[in-house]
Amino acid sequence: MKKVIFLVSVCLLLLNCKGKDEKDNGKLKVVTTTTMITDLVKNIGGDFIEIDGLMGAGVDPHLYKASEGDVTKLYNANIIFYNGLHLEGKLVEVFEKMESPTKKQIALGETLDKTGLIGSDYFASNYDPHVWFNIDYFKQFVRKVTQTLCEQDPVNKMEYLKNEAGYMGQLDGLKVIIETKIASLPKEQRILVTAHDAFNYFGEAYDFEVVGLQGLSTATEAGVQDVQRLSDFIIEKQVKAIFVESSVPRKTIEALQAAVKAKGFDVKIGGSLYSDALGDPGTPEGTYLGMFQYNVNTLVNELK
Amino acid sequence: MSTPQIEIQLIAAVVAVACAIPGVFLVLRKMALISDAISHSILPGIVLGFFLTHDLNSPWLILLAAITGVITVVLVEAIQKTGLVKEDTAIGLVFPALFSIGVILIAKNANDVHLDVDAVLLGELAFAPFDRLELFGTDVGPKSLWVMGTILLCTLVLLFLFFKELKVSTFDAGLSSALGISPIVMHYGLMSVSSITVVGAFDAVGAILVVALMIAPAATAYLLTSDLKKMLGFSILFGVASAILGYWVANLLDASISGAMTTVLGLVFLSVYLFAPRKGLISVLYRQKQQRTEVSLLTFLLHLNNHQDINERHINHLNEHINWQKVRSKTVVELALKNNMISIKDNIVSLTDKGKEFTELALEYIITNKDEKIEHMKDDFFLFRG
Repeated sequence: MKKVIFLVSVCLLLLNCKGKDEKDNGKLKVVTTTTMITDLVKNIGGDFIEIDGLMGAGVDPHLYKASEGDVTKLYNANIIFYNGLHLEGKLVEVFEKMESPTKKQIALGETLDKTGLIGSDYFASNYDPHVWFNIDYFKQFVRKVTQTLCEQDPVNKMEYLKNEAGYMGQLDGLKVIIETKIASLPKEQRILVTAHDAFNYFGEAYDFEVVGLQGLSTATEAGVQDVQRLSDFIIEKQVKAIFVESSVPRKTIEALQAAVKAKGFDVKIGGSLYSDALGDPGTPEGTYLGMFQYNVNTLVNELK
Repeated sequence: MSTPQIEIQLIAAVVAVACAIPGVFLVLRKMALISDAISHSILPGIVLGFFLTHDLNSPWLILLAAITGVITVVLVEAIQKTGLVKEDTAIGLVFPALFSIGVILIAKNANDVHLDVDAVLLGELAFAPFDRLELFGTDVGPKSLWVMGTILLCTLVLLFLFFKELKVSTFDAGLSSALGISPIVMHYGLMSVSSITVVGAFDAVGAILVVALMIAPAATAYLLTSDLKKMLGFSILFGVASAILGYWVANLLDASISGAMTTVLGLVFLSVYLFAPRKGLISVLYRQKQQRTEVSLLTFLLHLNNHQDINERHINHLNEHINWQKVRSKTVVELALKNNMISIKDNIVSLTDKGKEFTELALEYIITNKDEKIEHMKDDFFLFRG
């Protein structure tokens, strides 16, 4: 008897909670993961799509936890764009299970030519997922996103292509600005020390020696030996500044600074770089273009 | 409300019921922590299962995990039987050992498979609706709903079949053996059910929520009743209500669903702990205060009974004689008046017939300590309720 009453009350509870009516305006619904991809899709899709980014500014994609609202967003989505290459962890498996005729899921990183990617020393099939720090790879993302939007929403095809051309132009402009800025920094001073290895593609593209304290995953922590080894390196190369990242706690890099100081060399913390997430929306660093310029300016000014 | 929203609540409700039932027995047997231990120690079972089948979704994983759960219990019992350490220490010794075996297995063999602790360990309730089960080509609903539904059904069947046996062996192992019900069989049966439930629920909703759903509703229900059937009913109710309430809290705050559910479970326990009618904190404090007043009342009535002299019974003398503070004596006199135990005439206090009778009964109770004399007074006075 008790069970019956209780089951009935559960049903009533369930029925009582009326959902908000989803307005269907016929627009393509797109869900994205990292802020970089959200910014990209916004630039191409403009007002012709409805876009929801799962991860906010400053969220570490390795450690993202789903909220209640994300469930509905994913359920209603027509297209899901994500980085892939294991950046989003277990989420990738979830996305793969969601693939259906009405829902496309695209791992942008997986569409790149794997031969150019930086592989892990230990695991042959694992690649460094931070590909957006190479503008050429990011442009391939743009191409893929545009293609997908055109396929899924042929009515607005011309608009997407127009946006793509505009955005590609901006990216080319960005490349020029960055290259001139970096050219002002002598090659032997191009050493980038940060908390984790997010900048390998950046280093590859612009001749920076990139040294991470923590390794690829932000879930693991730096060991004492890593700190000692890296502090010796900093002194040997006379590095002027080391950098913090927006989505990784300051603590580890401060420990490194202290270790260097203990050995009688002064290294400053050159400021915070954006690695796995963009800055707050509305600020210049809230876009891919602004973020890249900010990072390069910070780097070059502090290392000079 | 969209389909996944309904499905998440349905899964959560089913998991809550499936966890609440074994949870009650674990709490009664003072073994609540074993659910936490099992949720960690099953890791080597899952890893071995994965190595054998190379499929994260294989039912073998659940089976092997459940077997590891039972092994945990056997090991805990074995260590505890040595008499050298207590049960909680034994649990603390066993599960980290098993868990770390699992971690080492993963670390040693993660080269060619994508197998990390997160991938094997953590279910996420938010994504449960997206993992569908297909039968003969048609979609029949979320997989975890089917898995947990089956586990719940088995638990219910076992509960109805062995309710008496479980009850006796839980409360009196000696009597249970005498009646021919082996407490050991019941113990391992219960542990196997708990183990399977933990494994299934783990996959559906994640680790912390499983432990919370096993322990919190049962612990809350225990504050309200000592009747086993009622306790089962209350735990199921608290479990399901917290799960659904938690879901809507998550909806409101756009927060993690399991996080919100666990928080609600904690809050429900807290409010019951504060406001429960008999074992609640507020009710206990009130009862203690009333008992103090009633002891004073009894002292006061005994004083009146002993002193026939009018001087001794003058209202202004009471303070000196019994040495109470004014406020307290006022409360006591008012209580006695309210119960028609005294009458006050020209500032002289005297016992009424009812007061005399009460005093005599109370005296007799104090001297003989026999309960039946005061049975009818239990309703009016906390003092006699023990």
